[in-house]
Amino acid sequence: MSFTIARTLDEALAALAAGARPIAGGTDLVVGARHGKAPLPADLVAIDRIPGLAEVTVTAAGITIGAAVSHHTLEGHPLIASTYSALADGSALVGSPATRHVGTLGGNIMNASPAMDTGAGLTVLGAEVELRAQAGSRRVTLADLWTAPGRTSARPDELCVAVHVPTPAPRSGSAYLRLEYRRAMEIAVVGAAAAVTLAPDGSVAAVRVALSAVAPTILSLGGLETLAGGSVNDVAAAVAAAASQQATPISDVRATDHYRRHTVGVMARRAVAAAARRAAGETIAIPVNRSIGIGAAS
Amino acid sequence: MTVTETPRFVRADGPDKVTGSGRYTADLSLTGMLTAKFKYAGVAHGRITKLDTSAAKAIPGVFAVLTQADVPNVRFGPFVQDRTLFADGVVRFEAEIVAAVAAIDAATAQRAVDAIVVEYELLPVVNDAEAALAPDAPLVHPDWSSYGAARPMVRNRNDASFASIAKGDVEAGMAQADHVVRSRYVADGCHAAPIEPRAIVAQWEGDKVTIWSSTQVPFDARAGVCETLELPANRVRIIVPHLGGGFGGKCGFHQEAHVAALARAARRPVRLVFSRREEFLAPDKRREGITYEFETGVRNDGTITARRVKMVLDNGAYTSDAGFFSQIGAMHGLGPYRIPNLLAEAHLVYTNHQPSGSVRAPTAPQSCWALESHTDEVARAIGIDPVEFRRRNAVDTGAEGPSGQLYGEIGVQQCIAEAARLAGYGQTLPADEAIGLAIGWWPSFSVPSGAYVKIDGDGSGQIITGAQECGTGSVMTLRQLAADEVGLRAEDFQLVYQDTSVAPYDMGATGSQTLFNNGRAVVAAAAQVAEQLRQLAANRLEADPADIVLADGRAHVAGTPDRSVTIAKLAAIAAGGELLIGHGSGAPPEAPALVGSTCVGNVGMAAWVAPQFSCHAVRVKLDRDTGVVRVLHVAAAHDSGTIINPLAAEGQVQGAVIMGIGQALTEGTTYDDAGHQRNAALLEYKLQTCADVPPMAVHFVQINTPNAGPRGAKGLAEAPNVATAAAISNALAQLVGQPVRQLPMTAERVWNAMNATGAQGGAA
Amino acid sequence: MSESISLRVNGIDYPVTIDQGRNLLSVIRTEVGLTGTKEGCDDCECGACMVLLDGQPINSCSYLAVQAQGREITTVEGVLQGDALHPLQRNLLEEGGVQCGFCTPGMIMSATALLQRTPAPTEEEVRIGLSGNLCRCTGYSKIVQAVQRTAAELADS
Repeated sequence: MSFTIARTLDEALAALAAGARPIAGGTDLVVGARHGKAPLPADLVAIDRIPGLAEVTVTAAGITIGAAVSHHTLEGHPLIASTYSALADGSALVGSPATRHVGTLGGNIMNASPAMDTGAGLTVLGAEVELRAQAGSRRVTLADLWTAPGRTSARPDELCVAVHVPTPAPRSGSAYLRLEYRRAMEIAVVGAAAAVTLAPDGSVAAVRVALSAVAPTILSLGGLETLAGGSVNDVAAAVAAAASQQATPISDVRATDHYRRHTVGVMARRAVAAAARRAAGETIAIPVNRSIGIGAAS
Repeated sequence: MTVTETPRFVRADGPDKVTGSGRYTADLSLTGMLTAKFKYAGVAHGRITKLDTSAAKAIPGVFAVLTQADVPNVRFGPFVQDRTLFADGVVRFEAEIVAAVAAIDAATAQRAVDAIVVEYELLPVVNDAEAALAPDAPLVHPDWSSYGAARPMVRNRNDASFASIAKGDVEAGMAQADHVVRSRYVADGCHAAPIEPRAIVAQWEGDKVTIWSSTQVPFDARAGVCETLELPANRVRIIVPHLGGGFGGKCGFHQEAHVAALARAARRPVRLVFSRREEFLAPDKRREGITYEFETGVRNDGTITARRVKMVLDNGAYTSDAGFFSQIGAMHGLGPYRIPNLLAEAHLVYTNHQPSGSVRAPTAPQSCWALESHTDEVARAIGIDPVEFRRRNAVDTGAEGPSGQLYGEIGVQQCIAEAARLAGYGQTLPADEAIGLAIGWWPSFSVPSGAYVKIDGDGSGQIITGAQECGTGSVMTLRQLAADEVGLRAEDFQLVYQDTSVAPYDMGATGSQTLFNNGRAVVAAAAQVAEQLRQLAANRLEADPADIVLADGRAHVAGTPDRSVTIAKLAAIAAGGELLIGHGSGAPPEAPALVGSTCVGNVGMAAWVAPQFSCHAVRVKLDRDTGVVRVLHVAAAHDSGTIINPLAAEGQVQGAVIMGIGQALTEGTTYDDAGHQRNAALLEYKLQTCADVPPMAVHFVQINTPNAGPRGAKGLAEAPNVATAAAISNALAQLVGQPVRQLPMTAERVWNAMNATGAQGGAA
Repeated sequence: MSESISLRVNGIDYPVTIDQGRNLLSVIRTEVGLTGTKEGCDDCECGACMVLLDGQPINSCSYLAVQAQGREITTVEGVLQGDALHPLQRNLLEEGGVQCGFCTPGMIMSATALLQRTPAPTEEEVRIGLSGNLCRCTGYSKIVQAVQRTAAELADS
């Protein structure tokens, strides 16, 4: 058993190569271990003090978000709020304020829960994850990364070091909403993110939608290309129908599959509508869940 | 006596609590202390075919492993003696304690628990209280008829406590009606969920045991230890450190005897601290699920002619203090209405669930929810506004209640008027909003209680009371009562409380009774000291004791404030002679007579001393696409008599209303087919958060109540939990098109109800 | 496996020898000996265990103690200003924001962190800022009032 605080990325990668597991905020790892989900790994390497891993960098292609960037940073980051809104919407909903301070984007992604709040937003924004091992690094799409609940295609010696998100096209907006039974401390019953690009005439030029908590992994809706050219309302209605149709939810203590199938359509429709409003230049405060509709501050 | 105004009353225990220096039970540590853990059944119903603790006992660091074979063979229970400390051959719910371990640390204790071998022959799980009433239903207690029970209990097979209240001729009453409205409602069980999980520390010295316990009722806990371990009361001392909330969940006798028995066997102090999961599963305290069948006859002029209600309450596996729930539940099934002909029948039925017990106004919030939802259905059936319907039919001063009690001055009508006004009832609202209103009631409990008051030679005072503070502030308020009696300030008094070997008996933080009964005791004790002070002052000032006024730290002669002496001076004089010591109890107010009703299974819960009334009016908003409900505003009007501590009283109402919102929308226990709780965690059993809380308007209707407690006070801590869920239901029914007939009214249930009427809304 | 580390709590360094799997909460309560920080759920769901780590709120029940090495830990015992109550502590009492008191230490830590990063919070910001701290007694409103009053007082001083 060992616990190492890595001071450099190389130290962290060496520890992973030797069989250690990475820990950042530890929120999923420590709670999961206590619930018997998976025992706490014998060898841990803390990655929360590696310089550069907690930075948001603007690049020519978009932004690069270090894996150790906290949800708190993401929800309050002006560029992410304005341009990568669906991610900020999701980060602002994760757990409690404390969880958002200590919980990281990389941790959320690699935990691979289908109910995660950042995954659908990252998916519609076309994000890729950078995995690094001592031998080198590679980029994978999120669809290739998540293989099953709690499972990824990353090798044990690979560390998620960054998330790369491309700059959205002009006249684009995105949003993430989730169904929740109270205004805080929730986990998504279902959730949906949408990225919408508007044509100059106000019709929808492109739309991408991804769903949380209705499939073994975040579900990217297929067949939306044919919707291009439609009005926002028509596209939102079609997306709602597609979401309910393509979802494969389970029944559990939070909801039945029947109710999930219905409400994920509602969330998807609202996500498209909110994303379109943002694409048109309107500011909807982060997160959408607490800005409009039933969860808005009264 | 001078009554002091204290608009900003700072709690005596406040500094301990905001600095972190206050000790709760789990914070205590004794030299050599061991850790206790329990082996739970893990199955809801089974016969133990093998129980082997030898491997656990052999683990180094394990000091004691106990089963029922190691403790006196005592069957106990306050109403029905259906319980043993450890499982006695059969387990009847998933968290029944089969064995207990004391070990050097938590990890060792857990290893020992895991090493205990138990095998079961599985028995049929009684998972549904209504089905359990069927003549051929499997019995949870096949030997039920051999158990001892309190004399008025009416029992039959799985029916552990039957009660009925009858008045007039219900058939004839129904025949006089223009409409008969029938409805069925189902309330799930739920939890008290105090933020402090329970903890117990026990230490023996010689043949005496001291137990520190997070209990609301230290004297009850002592009685339980004495009964089950066969000890006299003067060898068991229960001390309650600061208590981290109770809400009824820490009423009754729970695991004190297990920990004491472990400590005796291990010859070491032992500490038990529950995990959150244990706090959900193991206590004999869960708000009972209830099903309701109502039938109300009403005339077109809005007069109720008759009511019939049948209730089936889920008792769980053992009858803890729930024995009185059938009768008090029947009262709540009938409600605070003038009904000439009625019949309420309530069955408290064994199942293989966690035992039910007193959680904040037991039976009342869910029964109010069901009855008041039904009441709105009745009002709508004859086209009368629900508020107007209540104005006409609710009880009032001088009216006769359902059990035949004639009321003195009561404030229910004022509560209706105030709540409606504060909520803006009748205002035009957006299409997705509505205001619902409901009335509730709850008794004040008149019971014996005692206290001592003393003033020491330096003029500082102490109150030594058996009363228990669980957070409400009612014990804190006792200082004000004593201070006003003797002319000192509240902060001149310190409290010594929640220690059974130091103070006289009190029932504890249960039944909202502290101020009502212990307040009476403290006033009586302080009055004795005041009399001593007046005598001393009279000697000193050469006046008649009857003319001495005690106020502002001085004793003076009435009419001549200049002729005075400080109370500190009098205390110094007394310290050299007859000491300033008072003791008090006072006669509890007597229960009112009932006329014209017949009560079967009468355990004294149909005649209410100084009853409390309330009306809540709640504005809600509905997301028609998802069924998610948001509470936008709550107006709460209460007749709880005189309010002595306004800040604390308002805090009780605010806290209880938020608990009520949780019960209405998100808090409910669900069971799987095997009788296991499915949501025994705070993520899945959702309390309201700070982000969910709506604005609230609180009003107290303060009128002169006959037979009330000190200064006309009634109880308060439970009453504001009663009507909130009902008011939410009545608002929601307007938006949905019909009542949501299951509690909690979860988003999915609301959505299902909307779909059932085709009332589902359009695009958002 | 036990490890000897140093934890800095309320400005004092504590050498402790602990298993690497131990959570910070249990080490603060047992080895460090400060019991003001409470355990309510052991699951990040109630906030009773809230402490500050370099000024940021964390649920100490779900944070490994070994990971807090080299960081500044603040518990409720570190909030007093000398011998005097912090305005937040005093206002919680005067506004009636304390009943059973079990959530109070965690509530104080969350509110302290909130006021540090948002000195003049809106009511909504207070409500969201405290949303990770469950209180079963008060219904929260008096706690929110106490935090807002504290913000106003600190702005005036």
